Amino acid sequence: MSIVRWKPLIHQLPLVRNPSLSLREQPKRYIRCCPKNPSPSSSAGFVLGSKPDSGRNLRPIVEAKAAQSPPLSQETDLISSEQFTVNRIKKTYGKVSVKLERRCGYEARWMLEVSCDLVGKWILHWGVSYCDNQAEWDQPPPEMIPPGSTVIKDYAIESPLNARSEGQSESAVQIEIDGDTPIGAINFVLKEEETGRWYHNKGRDFRVPLRGSSEDEITLSMKQSVSIWPEAFDQISNMLRKHEESDPAPAPILEDNSDTSSKKPIIAFHEDYTVIKEEPVQNSMTVTVRKSDKSSDKNIVDVDTDIPGHVVLHWGVYMNESKNWHVPPPPYPPATKVLRKSALQTLLEKKSLGLGNRGSFALNKEVKGLVFVLKLDEYTWVNNMGKDFVVPIENSTSGNEEKIEEKPGTVSSTDKSVDTNAAPYTENLISGIRNLVDDISSHKNKAQKTNEEQDNILHEIEKLVVEAYRIFKNSSVVEKPDKSVDDTSKTPTQLVVSSGTGNGHEILCQGFNWESHKSGRWYHELGEKAKLLAELGFSIVWLPPPTESVSPEGYMPTDLYNLNSKYGNIEELKDIVHKFREVGIKVLGDVVLNHRCATSCSENGIWNIFGGRLNWDARAIVADDPHFQGKGNKSSGDNFHAAPNIDHSQEFVRTDIKEWLCYLRKEVGYDGWRLDFVRGFWGGYVKDYLEASQPYFAVGEYWDSLSYTYGEMDYNQNAHRQRIIDWINATNGTAGAFDVTTKGILHSVLERCEYWRLSDEKAKPPGVLGWWPSRAVTFIENHDTGSTQGHWRFPAGKEMQGYAYILTHPGTPSVFFDHVFCFQEEIRRLISLRLRKKIHCRSTVKILKAEKDVYAAEIDGKVAMKIGPGFYEPERGPKNWTVAAEGADYKVWEAS
Amino acid sequence: MEVSLSGPKVIVTKLKDSKVKRLGFSAPGFGYSGSNFVDLRRKCRVNWVGLKAIRAQVAVEKNNAPFRKEKVQSQTPVELLVGLPLDTVSKSNTINHEKAISAGLRALKLLGAYGVELPVFWAVVQPNSPHEFDWSAYLAVADMARCAGLRLRVSLNLNGCHRPNVMLPGWVLQAAETDPDILFKDKSGALHKDCLSFAVDELPVLQGRKPVDVFESLFRSFSSTFKDYFGSTITEITVSLGANGELRYPSFPPTTDSEFTSVGEFQCYDKYTLSQLKQAAESAGNPLWGLGGPHDASKYDESPNNSNFFKDHGGSWNTPYGNFFLSWYSQQLLHHGDRLLSIASNVFGDLPVQLSAKVPLLHHWHEMSSRPAELTAGFYNSAERDGYDAVTEMFAKYNCMMIIPGMDELGSNPESLLHQIKQACEKHGVQVSGENSALVKQGTDNFGKIKENVQAGLKTFTYQRMGADFFSPEHWPLFREFVRGMERSQLDADDLPEGNGGGVSLSADSEAGNNREMQAA
Repeated sequence: MSIVRWKPLIHQLPLVRNPSLSLREQPKRYIRCCPKNPSPSSSAGFVLGSKPDSGRNLRPIVEAKAAQSPPLSQETDLISSEQFTVNRIKKTYGKVSVKLERRCGYEARWMLEVSCDLVGKWILHWGVSYCDNQAEWDQPPPEMIPPGSTVIKDYAIESPLNARSEGQSESAVQIEIDGDTPIGAINFVLKEEETGRWYHNKGRDFRVPLRGSSEDEITLSMKQSVSIWPEAFDQISNMLRKHEESDPAPAPILEDNSDTSSKKPIIAFHEDYTVIKEEPVQNSMTVTVRKSDKSSDKNIVDVDTDIPGHVVLHWGVYMNESKNWHVPPPPYPPATKVLRKSALQTLLEKKSLGLGNRGSFALNKEVKGLVFVLKLDEYTWVNNMGKDFVVPIENSTSGNEEKIEEKPGTVSSTDKSVDTNAAPYTENLISGIRNLVDDISSHKNKAQKTNEEQDNILHEIEKLVVEAYRIFKNSSVVEKPDKSVDDTSKTPTQLVVSSGTGNGHEILCQGFNWESHKSGRWYHELGEKAKLLAELGFSIVWLPPPTESVSPEGYMPTDLYNLNSKYGNIEELKDIVHKFREVGIKVLGDVVLNHRCATSCSENGIWNIFGGRLNWDARAIVADDPHFQGKGNKSSGDNFHAAPNIDHSQEFVRTDIKEWLCYLRKEVGYDGWRLDFVRGFWGGYVKDYLEASQPYFAVGEYWDSLSYTYGEMDYNQNAHRQRIIDWINATNGTAGAFDVTTKGILHSVLERCEYWRLSDEKAKPPGVLGWWPSRAVTFIENHDTGSTQGHWRFPAGKEMQGYAYILTHPGTPSVFFDHVFCFQEEIRRLISLRLRKKIHCRSTVKILKAEKDVYAAEIDGKVAMKIGPGFYEPERGPKNWTVAAEGADYKVWEAS
Repeated sequence: MEVSLSGPKVIVTKLKDSKVKRLGFSAPGFGYSGSNFVDLRRKCRVNWVGLKAIRAQVAVEKNNAPFRKEKVQSQTPVELLVGLPLDTVSKSNTINHEKAISAGLRALKLLGAYGVELPVFWAVVQPNSPHEFDWSAYLAVADMARCAGLRLRVSLNLNGCHRPNVMLPGWVLQAAETDPDILFKDKSGALHKDCLSFAVDELPVLQGRKPVDVFESLFRSFSSTFKDYFGSTITEITVSLGANGELRYPSFPPTTDSEFTSVGEFQCYDKYTLSQLKQAAESAGNPLWGLGGPHDASKYDESPNNSNFFKDHGGSWNTPYGNFFLSWYSQQLLHHGDRLLSIASNVFGDLPVQLSAKVPLLHHWHEMSSRPAELTAGFYNSAERDGYDAVTEMFAKYNCMMIIPGMDELGSNPESLLHQIKQACEKHGVQVSGENSALVKQGTDNFGKIKENVQAGLKTFTYQRMGADFFSPEHWPLFREFVRGMERSQLDADDLPEGNGGGVSLSADSEAGNNREMQAA
């Protein structure tokens, strides 16, 4: 509902009796003017001062909306009455309880119970993981599935929660678990079927470790709270996430002695999560302004609302058109506080029967209007669609106004008369509203905005500008693609300009896998392969994280300046960088900026003191990382829970990181970066880092889940790729990002033989490479997804189809180390074709076929390719196509 | 506000723009009696043309902050527009970088811009024949502006443009193949494919139709196609009166465009112009003068100091022949402008839109007495003759607003030329709008200059132009701060209590007024 601004409509209708009007549409407006007894006093101007208020002055005219029925009265000197719709969020607190207990009477039977005490049709959407890897969802054995469940494809079960007993709001579901099960953990999220809303645990899955497994233990031993409404009210719910009382800490751990296997025994588990259910509720609020019958220089404002509970009117008045908040001169109504001389807070009076609240107070006539917002509790403020409620008070009618005896309830009579009189005035009113809208927007352009609003607008502007810049810049490239290619390949100066994105013809090799640390001399071993990689056609190699780390793979860094790792020492590192340089391959360093492991405990036993040259403390840790008692600001991204998340909003942290990156550039000789877990902090910081360290090439790992509906991947993954693009945008395009979208879609394509997925609704590639190819780093596997971890392994046996796709398509392709050797000859042919035909990151793709069993495309008119078992041959025409590469279900041609 | 006094002259060093306009009003010692002052203030709000008499008196002073006085006018905030890319609509009549423009429009709206300028090219609208019009892409852009809540100034370019490479319509160029003389031709015989010769305006050279008729039907087609947009979205129509969309001859070399900063050449060597020159010479009783343009003018890139025609002392510009030729040459331009404005005001006159046209700011070589760059472009302006008086008079005749580019140009040449043109506008009551000549670069004070000019009293200001560079990290922050700075200054002034503007500086300002009076006397 928009602001209703008073216009002196009364002027237009001086001769009409009861010239009141209203619109059925919002904003509702009740106007009443009684030209019966002109009051000369009212035209005599406004006198400041107060006369003793009678009790009547405080009596609201309107009891409640429903009670607007008193007799029609001609006497009330009602100036205006406006009704606002008040949208607020009703919060209900509830509890989700997760219990893992031994079943009574059974040694080896366990029971997991998930219950929720909020009203609703709850669905447990769950899966199991057989190893400690938290991300994995698998189908449980059938005997575990509770009755009434639905199986969602091959990885999830949906089980309804049933009411514990008739009429009770609490519902629960039980899952029986065998004590010998190989299952490592149960993952779930909750869904409220009626609203379709999902409950996550702070954006992640809930997880029940059966055997108290690894990293996530910490997470679950903490009291958690959950937000039901992640979409629009994240912020509110964040504020509301209080760590509520509920049950005492984790339940005692019971050892399962009977388990003789080598497995760890199942451990009992009990956890309560606070749930806040947020529902939009519409209330109304009526503000009536009338002339005071006691004092001719006062107006009485009555406020009436059906919002239950405590309602504080946070208000001020304005004296002129600028609508700036002022505090009126005293006296103030009872229960009023003056807030920093800029506003008043008046606790409204409760109406009987809990029907709402009301208040009433006198204002001097020179007040041009009332501005207010409502405060419902410490954290809940209600405003009018992001703006203040405004009630203008028109005194211009004073000339023909009258003295009247006010009686309660005149509004409803007005309301009645409106129905008959409204039509002729509707037009006026509409134009009034139109003017009003104009007014609002013109005010917007002046300076009525609060600083915060202004910041939001500026932020929005910057976002739009970055977008406009990106498209302008790219579209000017698109206009003359051939020329720009030649430019980039010929003029080396241009390479420097587009920092962080290479020369457009890069081909990446990931130079390690999950096992590479084991030999302790990886740098040496990889160095021996430098020549081979160069000969295959790679131009960039990505080395593992170089710093000292808690985990041998390097992703839990401790002292950033200690470059001795399980892969080798700093000398060996410099040596390998040198070797690659000699063969013309640029080197990316894997830098972990999101988190850093502490080396010692603070006094209260929390691991949050860092060692080494950057001896940060809790101030460098984000405040919303509960396990490490960070004293920094809240995280600008998602949290990685196993280690303290670094607060990049701190100036000293950024300065240190920039210095470190520059040190790596200079000391080690890295040409660029692979940025780990960039979801954890704002891309704008990355931009800072890249601008400071000036990499030749940079790529970020922004990995989150694609969209699925009932376990089936959605065809449209625009939201997913948009998130990646948003991140790239935030870096101002200084870095590329791994094209997780393309990998995900390839999974579905190959696993299910659904090649139609490879063309989006605009007949473009459906991944990041379809939208921003020059920033998309395409890949099919890495050390996390594949290798010995296998978190999200590419469909086995179909890797070459994947490579046939990414190595012929725009974007910058990246080949996983293991694959370089598994498929060496096939990859060699594809890379050499890519180089020979000068396919680059901005090449154009023409999709020729995207059908059930075949996908075919032509790239830059020079290369044609198909993947899938179906048939495709390039047309015999002006171009002479010859087969350049061929393998299981893929074929690539080049035009000669 | 900082004002420093030095000697008898007053140099207003750093006008803290915010308070200036209010100061102008609130300084009772401005040289007028109190009652005059009140009067002045009231009138200013209504329209500044009414101030002519008073202002003429004040604006005598030339070099010291020449537009100081006009600050009085800027009561209403200047409307800020941003030019859309020249290639907003491609030659094949599709919108280029639509998404970028749409994001850009939203950003500009949020920033508080008033509108955008849309360059329309003849060759895009009528690519194939004089009978067909295709406005579709331009309509779509107008829609985008409307959706974004921005106003639109439409520039109807009847000329071509080198960047993007949009020349005259293909069918016009075809006609020019059979008769090359319908295009402007320079002394060496090179043709200007971006501009029809003014001499053929009323000759049936385009498939049997006169260019003026073709232009008129183009205007009418525009007017009927966009009828729903006038007043609400389209608030201004700019008509091109010559080369480069400005009232001028294409005095620059045929291969470049307006960025050319040398003197240029006279363009009168197509047979139609030559024959008109011949006639004029004969009726002036000197047939020999009609054989061609000045033989001793410099070449495009040559220094005018070396040429016999332009040189300061004893140059042939300042001879009876020079006077004859330059008068005739500038008259042809005026006639052309008059013809087009007459058509335009005839077609658009009843619409709720402002008609405007652009006059170039040819400040290069302005320090020479002969003003050579202005002469070749068709402005017979020299140390002894005001070439802009007649031009402005023509604008006034059609109630046409004058758009002057180069509001960002620093230096005394642009300043004094701008001053001259503005004075002429003031004299004839012509409203002035501004444009910049190029995107402002980092580390320069061009935005400061624009601000100064804007606050000296412009109706609108159009910043040229949107594109990748405009939104680039190097440029955008400068522009944003410029706009916000303007916004703040306007607000500050509003927030100032009425007769209380500027306290201390008030006396300094009134002194300035006194000083000025003394000088004027």
